[in-house]
Amino acid sequence: MDLATVAKEIKPADLLQMYYYVRLTRTLEDRITALYRQGRIMGGVYTSNGMEAISVGYASALERDDVIAPYHRDMGAFLLRGITPGEVFAQYLGKKTGPTRGKDGNVHLGDLKRGIIGFVSHLADNLPVATGAALAFKLRDESRVVVTNTGDGGTSRGDFHEALNFASVRKLPVVFFCNNNQYAYSTPLRYQMAIRDVVERAKAYAMPGEIVDGNDVAAVYLAAKRAIARARAGEGPTFIEAKTMRMHGHSEHDAAKYVPRELLEEWKKKDPILKAEQILTQLGYADEAKFREVQERAKKEVEAGLAFAEQSPLPEGPETLEGVFAEERDL
Amino acid sequence: MPTDVIMPQLGESIAEGTIVKWLIPQGGHVEKDQPLLEVETDKVSLEVPSPSTGYLNEVLVTEGQTVPVGTLLARLESDAAPRGVVTRVGGVVIRHMEPAPGEEDHYSPAVRQLAREHDVDLAQVAGTGAGGRVTKKDVLDFVAKRSGMQTRAAPAAPVTVSAEEALPLTPMRRTIAERMVASRRTSAHVTTFFEADFSGPAKVRDAHGLTYLPFAIKAVTRALRDLPIVNSSWTDQGIVIKKDIHIGIAVALEDGLLVPVVRHADRKGLQQLAKEVADLAERARTKRLSPEEVQGGTFTVTNHGVMGSLFSTPIISQPQIAILGLGAVQKRAVVIHDAIGIRPMAYLSLSFDHRVIDGATADQFMSKVKGYLEQTNWETDL
Amino acid sequence: MPTATAGKEVTYLEAISQALDEEMTRDERVFLMGEDIGTYGGAFKITEGFLDKYGEWRVLDTPLAESGFVGAGIGAAMMGMRPVVEMQFADFISCAFDQITEVAGTAYYRFRSQVPLVIRAPYGGGVHGGPFHSECPEGWFFHSPGLKIVVPATAYDAKGLLKAAIRDPNPVIYFEHKFLYRRIKEVLPVEDYTVPLGVAAVRREGTDISVITYGAMVYVALEAAEQLAKEGIDLEVVDLRSLIPLDKQTVFASVRKTSKAIVLHEDNKTGGVGAEIAALLAEECFDSLDGPIVRIAAPDTPIPFSAPLEEFYIPKTSDVVAAARKLAAY
Repeated sequence: MDLATVAKEIKPADLLQMYYYVRLTRTLEDRITALYRQGRIMGGVYTSNGMEAISVGYASALERDDVIAPYHRDMGAFLLRGITPGEVFAQYLGKKTGPTRGKDGNVHLGDLKRGIIGFVSHLADNLPVATGAALAFKLRDESRVVVTNTGDGGTSRGDFHEALNFASVRKLPVVFFCNNNQYAYSTPLRYQMAIRDVVERAKAYAMPGEIVDGNDVAAVYLAAKRAIARARAGEGPTFIEAKTMRMHGHSEHDAAKYVPRELLEEWKKKDPILKAEQILTQLGYADEAKFREVQERAKKEVEAGLAFAEQSPLPEGPETLEGVFAEERDL
Repeated sequence: MPTDVIMPQLGESIAEGTIVKWLIPQGGHVEKDQPLLEVETDKVSLEVPSPSTGYLNEVLVTEGQTVPVGTLLARLESDAAPRGVVTRVGGVVIRHMEPAPGEEDHYSPAVRQLAREHDVDLAQVAGTGAGGRVTKKDVLDFVAKRSGMQTRAAPAAPVTVSAEEALPLTPMRRTIAERMVASRRTSAHVTTFFEADFSGPAKVRDAHGLTYLPFAIKAVTRALRDLPIVNSSWTDQGIVIKKDIHIGIAVALEDGLLVPVVRHADRKGLQQLAKEVADLAERARTKRLSPEEVQGGTFTVTNHGVMGSLFSTPIISQPQIAILGLGAVQKRAVVIHDAIGIRPMAYLSLSFDHRVIDGATADQFMSKVKGYLEQTNWETDL
Repeated sequence: MPTATAGKEVTYLEAISQALDEEMTRDERVFLMGEDIGTYGGAFKITEGFLDKYGEWRVLDTPLAESGFVGAGIGAAMMGMRPVVEMQFADFISCAFDQITEVAGTAYYRFRSQVPLVIRAPYGGGVHGGPFHSECPEGWFFHSPGLKIVVPATAYDAKGLLKAAIRDPNPVIYFEHKFLYRRIKEVLPVEDYTVPLGVAAVRREGTDISVITYGAMVYVALEAAEQLAKEGIDLEVVDLRSLIPLDKQTVFASVRKTSKAIVLHEDNKTGGVGAEIAALLAEECFDSLDGPIVRIAAPDTPIPFSAPLEEFYIPKTSDVVAAARKLAAY
């Protein structure tokens, strides 16, 4: 992303805010990983380490009434939508005060009031749901947009194709992101697809698509902004492939020995936090002191959240039986 | 694991065979290699030995039928078939329905339960069921015959059975039980609760020695005039709105309840209502009501508050569509014009049939009842 | 398009049409998605005329992608719409199994998102449809938490239950029996009415044996009852109407009265809805039973096509008569 474009298109305060959220996401997920390694978090932990710029980038381009249908490497988007670190820890620790009150774990967060459609573990299931939300906006003539995301792995599933196809046919106001981090668990791209870039799939659905540097939060933000504007203007869906690298294993228990070390070394140099700091420095929007201040602030926010979650109660056994069906509201 | 018995190839170029005879009866036992059936082709007639030891439970091709080589003829199973198997009901086997030999005196749960309830010695009951077992009907017939021989007596004294006491059901109890359950199954019961300030009625009540019930009845009749849909019945042909207002009053008895009806309650003043209610209640308790007096109600009021109850979810008296519960009138601290005052308050519980009216109508009705209770100049209604 | 006219007989199929039409008029959030429902009017012509009346944005012809458009229905429902999604045949619902059971069934439980979605599924055999146009898949979803299921047998219920399903804030799978489409007729009320979910209907009162059933089998049971009445065997026939929620009270009350039960359904026997009902009866009505609980259902095979095979497969009147005779004599 060239500096001139960034300077022209993004206000300093906004870029700083994106930087903050990239840092906050990293700090939060690092803490979660640490807790997991200490045996204090149970179950699976899936982070977006090294990929934070994608969720922060697109979520920063949303309006308040827009909706996201994320997947499990979108922590930055959750935070930008108003989920607090406290709620995230509560969710991971299975506490009553988490958004699912202990009913689901790790990053399976959802809250329609904050425009987040909770997802299931079956990757790409969220894509048809996203098209449905977009359809609702179109039917009601609302200028709201849905942004959805999945990994390179998710693009192999039938639901991915059914969703892109439907969104395209009906010109729905939805933006499809793909976090191409080059590995679906242990499966590298070459065993997943015969095409070279995932974006080639968009062409099959007559959908405009582009590739963006997934580690450059400014680039992701601008691409998302363009696509969201298109959708809002009634021009239909866009596919954005964000190229990045999965720096940790598929989940935190996975040592990922199948990933060549050189690949990780190469991408470490392109860490989204580093990249953001470089741009901010070069544009004169911030300096080392500021970066340290941001780091401290993020750390404080995360620790406060953890304290909240640790003090929160666990749900009681019989709560298992509650909330299977919604009650009649209007007849 | 069942063994298949298939039509063998009895020679080269032989494509089919006819079953002449099954040498083992259905369900019978056969040893491996023992002759199982006789098969005939146009060239030859042979006995076919059994492929394994077992029970010939399933015979699929009967004597006289001709089938191609390889056709499944029967299945041998290692266990004997359940007795009395109904030959396949369509595609599925229905379990045996005869007691096993030696178990004819095995009593079903229903039979044992009835015997307990009616204090019957099952050894004395003749069995007419499958295999001679005692059926539920046998027990009931036995009881009917036995009670027919007894003189009419007062309800039987409770029978003590170890740590329990069984109270026989009186006709009133049975009727109440049937009606209550049937009403719940018929109407879509919803209850809405309102609170009313009884200061107005309290003044007049004290002065004239009345209870709160006539005031409630009067307010109800007025609200029914305003919203006649609440004074109706559901039928499959439509909702029938009753033009006359007859209010049923629930009266608690020693061992049950009755609901005598105050006819044309809307035409009567408070004192007359009070007199009639008292009279009907007295005669209900002393069993001097005529059948007409407990029929024809179009709406019911139940004064459950007399024993202190605050809220209720009363059951509608079919074929009406609503019932109002009047809770206990209690002095409560309430907010009046942003200050605290003490007022006699009571909760009104309306159970209504949601098939006929919706919450909005029910609440409208209740608003009117509350309004009439609170704002009527009761002196003029005496 | 059939409109409600006082006194006119309406078929089960027309009743479904009327329900959709009336709900779409009454509530602008209601819209339809499915294959061939627009221009073609639906494989069974239930939505004939709807495209002209409501336009292509309330009657959407979808691509051949059940998972995709059921998922879209879920998303639209989450945003406050009231989609009614049609499976052309219930047999194709398996393509959307994931979206239905995992996404729709768990959304409210996990993050309190209401999914007021209705999935209409024409099911059942007797039409020479073969294995993939005759299935009764209700068993799969009966077992999945978070889903409601209705199975109307009469035209009145077909209309009332569909309206109630559309107004319910939960995902409801509406199984409409294709064999009954044009064979069942009755006069329906002109004004708006619903049939509540979770309430069974006693179609025939009796004293000797309770037949607990639903769907097209209700008529098989009633026919058997007619025949058996002549032999002095009095069947009570309970039409469940809803599978989830299940009206246990009516079922238990019936069996406690008769003390003998036959559970009858068209779906395969093993692990079908009947297995659950039989278990419930054994658990809750044990002391009232005067005979074994009998299940009559299709055998555990795919549905065969050839006429004699299909006839063998689907439970029929003579099956119920034979079983009832045995049970009555026990």
